[in-house]
Amino acid sequence: MNSVATPAPVVEHLPPAEPVGLTRRLALRGTVLALVIAVAGFAVPYLVPDKYTMGLLLDGIILALLALGIGFLARHLGLISLGHTAFFGGAAYALAIATQQWGWGMVPAAVFGFAVGTMLALLMGLLVVRASGMGFLMLTLALGQALYQLCVQTVARPYTGAYDGLQVANEGTFFGMGSATVMNAALFWPVVWVVLVVAALVLWWLGRARFGVVLEGIRENEERMRFSGYNTFRPRLYAFVVSGAVAALGGVLFALNAAYVSPDLLSFTKAGDSLIAAIVGGLGSLAGPVLGALVYIYAQATFNSSGNLHLYTGIALVLVLVFLPGGLTGGLGRLARRLRKKVRR
Amino acid sequence: MNFAQLLNGVAFGSLLMILSSGLAMIYGLRGVTNFAHGALYMAGAYLAYSVSTNFSFWLALIVAPLALAVLGAVLELVFFRRLEHRSHIEVGLVTFGIALVLERVIVLIWGERTLAVSAPGGLGGTTSVFGVAYPTYRLLIIAVAVVLAAALVWWLRGTRLGLHIRAASRDGETSAILGIDSDRVSLVVVCVGAALAGLAGALAAPYVSVDPGMGVSILINVLIVVVIGGAGSIAGAMIAGMALGIVQTLGAVLLPSLSVLVPYIALVAVLLWRPAGLAGKGVAR
Repeated sequence: MNSVATPAPVVEHLPPAEPVGLTRRLALRGTVLALVIAVAGFAVPYLVPDKYTMGLLLDGIILALLALGIGFLARHLGLISLGHTAFFGGAAYALAIATQQWGWGMVPAAVFGFAVGTMLALLMGLLVVRASGMGFLMLTLALGQALYQLCVQTVARPYTGAYDGLQVANEGTFFGMGSATVMNAALFWPVVWVVLVVAALVLWWLGRARFGVVLEGIRENEERMRFSGYNTFRPRLYAFVVSGAVAALGGVLFALNAAYVSPDLLSFTKAGDSLIAAIVGGLGSLAGPVLGALVYIYAQATFNSSGNLHLYTGIALVLVLVFLPGGLTGGLGRLARRLRKKVRR
Repeated sequence: MNFAQLLNGVAFGSLLMILSSGLAMIYGLRGVTNFAHGALYMAGAYLAYSVSTNFSFWLALIVAPLALAVLGAVLELVFFRRLEHRSHIEVGLVTFGIALVLERVIVLIWGERTLAVSAPGGLGGTTSVFGVAYPTYRLLIIAVAVVLAAALVWWLRGTRLGLHIRAASRDGETSAILGIDSDRVSLVVVCVGAALAGLAGALAAPYVSVDPGMGVSILINVLIVVVIGGAGSIAGAMIAGMALGIVQTLGAVLLPSLSVLVPYIALVAVLLWRPAGLAGKGVAR
């Protein structure tokens, strides 16, 4: 109970990432792979003819950005955040307010939304990254909910619309796309897809570089890293801000596409849902949160009408944590390794 | 601001106190934040509704804690004990999943609508307290909380089992070596913690509205109380719970627009001032 050792990381069941630095060859290989994935993704709108599925897929990869941010912190620092909705929702709200109240065009509003989301991550990070384990979870939850409460206050109504939410006035163009285009899932898909792939590449790159190795050292034993002469506060803060920035990107894209923001974006439910998506998908890899987000959106579309969505997500969360640590991608990875072994024999 | 509002604060603080002492107890022993605590509280309130409409409210005050203690035993035996070797945070997330399931199951049983529970006979009126007419039922909540706080302190400070609980919370490994049956201690603590949540729910039923959102809304308050009080410190949680109840209720009168932010501001202020919480061994564990 009282031991000085840091709590065991949440990803302890996963094979540790190979402790190699980022060699030039590896970086090149990763970048080429990302390029291939990005280009391949452009085909999706042509392969998915019906509008409904396309909408779900787009919602899925927007949620994936939020889950990716949460997953990065969990993977490299063992920190589980319930506060990333603040950056996702904060960015979405900032964009909505900039377009609606100040009449900004889409591009400056998007930049503003991203900046606000990232600033919120910096502010929250300064307060929370010293904590770890349960303390971190509770602090991020509390601060995230503070933003929710602030947003639905009657005082905030002129700015945020309180419980009514806020329309996004998509004026001007977003890199040549009009308001109708950004709201069309098939036409907006390439933008979100490229952002997702680039964000994943940057996170992969950071995780593999010296920075990521330092983070893993802090995750394994923060005290020992300090004794070894490393500053452990700043890397944690930077990692928190980066993961918050990825979530903020998701918020910006969400607001552009949905053209409407509501307090739900900041709610406890949303925080829990995005975390569950990341965990069920698997925190051990970059693909995990993305897969988890897609599965979550599918489950939402299937079960929401009966109102039993959270019954199933709750069961899924418990089952994955108890029986399938490493989530879906972790389980698939183990299965693939076992099959490969059999084939070799 | 008047005396009645102060009493309102004390009544709300009493509920927070009962809830957060249970949460802090489980946290102290298991190292796990029980995210299902809000759902347990909600279950207590819904049970109280059924028992009080069919039998009597006084029976509900006994049945709800007992039923919740059984649920606590299930939590301990099925999840906490089996997942003992896992990291605390994973077990915490499991309780998060349990909370989602339990809240939905409650809604499936009792429905989505807000239920009203009337105060027990004879306590529906008001009593004059220092010349102020005040709802008698809320005085009962305060009285129960005071008695319970005294009983808890006596239990933890004055009995052998309490000694074992304190020892196991301080250092589980050493106390196990010294012959304390940690499984038994842990079962007792989780059962009592859950029973306290059930009691708080039953007590709250005539005071607040019984609706599907009640668990989540109080959970965040209780988590804040436990962090402010110092994670794992039961006395800290009690004091912080009472203080937060009073401050939040009075804040609602003085600064109506910002009162909901009071817990968060208090949290940030306390953490900047004393990162370990008011009486804590540290949240950074």
